[in-house]
Amino acid sequence: MSAIAADVEARRVLALRPEPAERLDSPYTISKDLYTALRHVLHDVGGQPDTPVLYTDPKELDWEMRTYVTCECLAWRGHWNAEERRRRENDLGATQYFGLPYYARWATVAAKMLVDKGLVTPDELSAKLDEVRSRRDGS
Amino acid sequence: MTKFNVGDRVTVRDATSMFHTRTQMYVRGRTGVVVSHRPEWVIPEDEAWGRENGRKEPFYVVRFRQTDLWPSYAGSDVDTLETEESERWLMPAGKEEGQ
Repeated sequence: MSAIAADVEARRVLALRPEPAERLDSPYTISKDLYTALRHVLHDVGGQPDTPVLYTDPKELDWEMRTYVTCECLAWRGHWNAEERRRRENDLGATQYFGLPYYARWATVAAKMLVDKGLVTPDELSAKLDEVRSRRDGS
Repeated sequence: MTKFNVGDRVTVRDATSMFHTRTQMYVRGRTGVVVSHRPEWVIPEDEAWGRENGRKEPFYVVRFRQTDLWPSYAGSDVDTLETEESERWLMPAGKEEGQ
């Protein structure tokens, strides 16, 4: 099989990734087994069935490295540690955990940690984001 | 002071995890061999909540045979997997939970 054909095949297989079959919409009751499954720590994915994923190795972007350094500096200044960051990433829930790009997950939990610990307020964060948005949009 | 020596056979406890843990589901109840010691560190169950002065324990690198972890493992019998666990998650192999 040529490299291109293999690539096409891998993408096709990737598109066949099974959809979750059980719809959960705040059920009135659940089984003990479901409760156990729901409590499972998200990052513990070893052994879960999946289909092949294409290996890509994109270059890190500036915002990603700035996010990384910011998170490390917050640890250096004693506001959290890597394990707490991982726990907070898990606590985002499956949709955000698997939906956000890797460093967007870091940035999200860093912001929530700063709010949780009273270092910034949601209002201050919102105001800063609006300031950055208007600078970006030139308005 | 470490409870287990290199070469000891250990079984990973299948304790209930409330919220954060690093002990993978696929090693629980499985038996492996201690292959090296790691320095004492705060256990993840404390560190994850910002308790950096939490309980410190020795960590162990435990080697499992892949065929012991995955019932339908299709690779070679000699394949192994190594992972680290804190002391609280390990018990001597052959000793049933609760004894």
